[in-house]
Amino acid sequence: MRLTLTCALALLTAPALADEIRMLNWQGYGTDLPWAVAAFTAATGHTVVHDYFNSEQEMLTKLRTNPGAYDVVLINSAFTAQAQAEGLLAPIDPTLIANFADLDPSLAGNPDLSPGGALYGVPWTWGLTSFAVSTDVFAEPPTSLAVFWDPAYAGRVSIRDDALEAVQFAALATGQNINDITDLDAVRAKLAALMPQISAYWSSENDWNQFMAAGDFAIGTYWSGSAARSAAAGLPVAFVVPDEGAIGWLDGLSIPATSTHQAAAHAFIDWMIDPDFYVRWEPDGAPASANAAAAAALPETSFNRAVLGDPAVVARVQFMQPVSDEDREAYLALWQDLKAQQ
Amino acid sequence: MLARADRGRLAGLLAPAYLWLTAAVFLPLSAMLWFAFLTDVPFGGREASLTLDNFARALTNPTYRILLGKSLELGLIVTALCALIGFPCALVLAKAIRGRAREALFLLVILPFWSNSLVRIFSWAIVLRGNGVLDSAVNWISPWPVDVNLMFSQSAIVIGLVHSYLPYMILTCYLALQGIDDALIEAARSLGAGPLRILWRLLIPLAAPGLIAGAVLIFVPVVGSFMEPRILGGRVGTYFGTVIEDQFIAVFNWPLGAALSFCLLAVVLVILAIAAPVLRRAA
Amino acid sequence: MTLRIAGRLWLALVLFFLYAPILAMAAMSFNASPFYQLPFTFSTEWYVKLAGNAEILAASWQSVWIAVVVTVIATVLGTAASLAFFRYKFPGKRLLQALLFPPIAIPWLITGTAMLIFFFAIGIPRGAPAVIVGHVALAVPYVIVVVSARLAGFDPLLEEAARSLGATQWTITRRVTLPFLAPGVIAGGLFAFAVSFDQFVVSYFLAEPGDMTLPVLIYTAIRKGFTPEINAISTIIIVVSMLVMLLAARGFRFGGDR
Repeated sequence: MRLTLTCALALLTAPALADEIRMLNWQGYGTDLPWAVAAFTAATGHTVVHDYFNSEQEMLTKLRTNPGAYDVVLINSAFTAQAQAEGLLAPIDPTLIANFADLDPSLAGNPDLSPGGALYGVPWTWGLTSFAVSTDVFAEPPTSLAVFWDPAYAGRVSIRDDALEAVQFAALATGQNINDITDLDAVRAKLAALMPQISAYWSSENDWNQFMAAGDFAIGTYWSGSAARSAAAGLPVAFVVPDEGAIGWLDGLSIPATSTHQAAAHAFIDWMIDPDFYVRWEPDGAPASANAAAAAALPETSFNRAVLGDPAVVARVQFMQPVSDEDREAYLALWQDLKAQQ
Repeated sequence: MLARADRGRLAGLLAPAYLWLTAAVFLPLSAMLWFAFLTDVPFGGREASLTLDNFARALTNPTYRILLGKSLELGLIVTALCALIGFPCALVLAKAIRGRAREALFLLVILPFWSNSLVRIFSWAIVLRGNGVLDSAVNWISPWPVDVNLMFSQSAIVIGLVHSYLPYMILTCYLALQGIDDALIEAARSLGAGPLRILWRLLIPLAAPGLIAGAVLIFVPVVGSFMEPRILGGRVGTYFGTVIEDQFIAVFNWPLGAALSFCLLAVVLVILAIAAPVLRRAA
Repeated sequence: MTLRIAGRLWLALVLFFLYAPILAMAAMSFNASPFYQLPFTFSTEWYVKLAGNAEILAASWQSVWIAVVVTVIATVLGTAASLAFFRYKFPGKRLLQALLFPPIAIPWLITGTAMLIFFFAIGIPRGAPAVIVGHVALAVPYVIVVVSARLAGFDPLLEEAARSLGATQWTITRRVTLPFLAPGVIAGGLFAFAVSFDQFVVSYFLAEPGDMTLPVLIYTAIRKGFTPEINAISTIIIVVSMLVMLLAARGFRFGGDR
């Protein structure tokens, strides 16, 4: 129904030729689902080709060194301002996106997505970085981050091998604002105390799943969407948002400034935030949708509705904001020092 | 000096390879080397100026020194193990087995090479971890319960790396050994030399080029490796390669990453330069 | 005699060591769990899924033909360069030999990033040709090291003798040097194939989106979306390679019995 509207808009605003849109995203993150791409092509005639990245830095490098190669790119809100400052992004016209009106106003109005006042990223999904535990080990899921430092679980803990995430995690554990860390020494001490507890770091969803399945760890930091996916695939895990809070992130869809298919790009973005797409994607393990209508359309028992729809949980979430290069390097140096001493 | 005809032939033989290498590798790496002397990358609208800071950091930061030492140690251990394990194999293949069996076995040794390295590393995880293949096998044999969990240790890293790089050593030693005339060995034996003597005085010196080539092809990449250490080593799996990669993946600090890479290259070249004449003299 | 038996036993143990993870990998391709979880439950679902997975199959084919092209080019270039080093003394020889180390020593991520920037700056587009250019450059040093090691056991006087008998340079190469060199050249070719076929970092930067090689596909799948279909294709590749190699060994005497 909405898709027909989008389709009509696309036909009106673009020549009748079918475009090939190139999408830059994480692999397996919704936009490359075969049924989704097929539905889009059937409705608009545009085809979609995907390219992938394995880190945000890589995404930026690809944008910098491949002008004209991409039409839609997934950019985390903490990076949108940086990409826009480098002139990599084109302003987005909300009037070309039929579903825009249904977006959660707090997300659509997120200042990180509109650097300089114009819209450069359409909020698409959001989720939490918190932790998940093995339900084989924990009959009752824990309620506090302190479980990571519990000696009973020495050698059964894992965190992601990422300096920024580690530092922000420790900031949560020391009661600080993750976007304004004033006591880095406390963070360092907290992480140093965590190290002996860790058996291994994980750096990809696959690592996490295989290590957890094999029992290499029982507690691990994890992303909400990934936890939903792992649980859906049969792993006995439970996602926890502890009292100390969790790190929130917001992924937006942006259009590179050098794209030559911007009208088709808008159409694809519209399809991506469409409830029809989201409701079908969600059971496979999707993060929360930025589209309030889409989120409301979920069944009551779905993971995202149950966990992330709870206002008490959302109140404890601290959303990530842009981090300066200097801070990133300081955190990296801290993290590398700690890792090297193991 | 070379005769003109020879000079022509020399150029004809060398030029294709080196022109290709220049265009594809040396020029890009030169650009990287230049970046190492800058404060920032000189594209994307960024300001960059000359500096020695990156090299200073690379050389003086204690974390990098610790990790470099760790990586060099890992390189030496893996290379030594590959030599100790691989040389006897090559010897058996080259001298003790004949005909079709030899070719078939040789190809079997090479085949694991062609499996994807990432899948291989995860496969080692299956074998080495607690309740993994090794643990189950040992417990099946042993009369009392044994807990075998090698994962996330330096042993696992060494096993994974030796497994990946062993075929190099077997191959290069095989090539060298197989080129040794059997008549030489016969002559030595008829002169009364025992097998150990033949090995030490005849085979190893003559096979030295193979050993050295294998050592180089193993030591150099292992020192820069980071994937096997990270997955198999877990918490203790941070090495010099890790911090280099971080400069490209976690932050946008190519100049420092480049400086670290070239320091690694310099250290490796120095070690090889020192080791080569020693090995050659011993041979 | 005991030495002989001990030697063969050692070889058998080493082969077992070399194949342990390969067997584990193949076993997991028949395990129902998508996370390698034991206990083992037999299932062929990953092979069934693989048969319908056009992306993996296309990527595998892409890897194979690129690797073949790279092997041929790198082996020719590398062998020629090795012959040059073997035959001639000339100023700068040490330097040229030392220059073979950067491609091997510097982590491929750095080299790949450098190639990406450089190719972009001079206008070479991403795609199969760029991938081939990159792979050959990474494989040639290996070929040179291996072939040179073999050449070290070759008596230069043999070439001298042939020349004094009136043979042309090409005849000398073809009938005197290359036969001895053949195992080294083949070994170099096998290395070049392995370098190209397993190469994911540089391919990742230089390949065109939508036209990936298998290692790149595996590398990106590790991040999200890994399934044991990857084990299935890896097992198939190993089995096919084994068959191809054994057939080749049957038809072509390699190892050069002297």
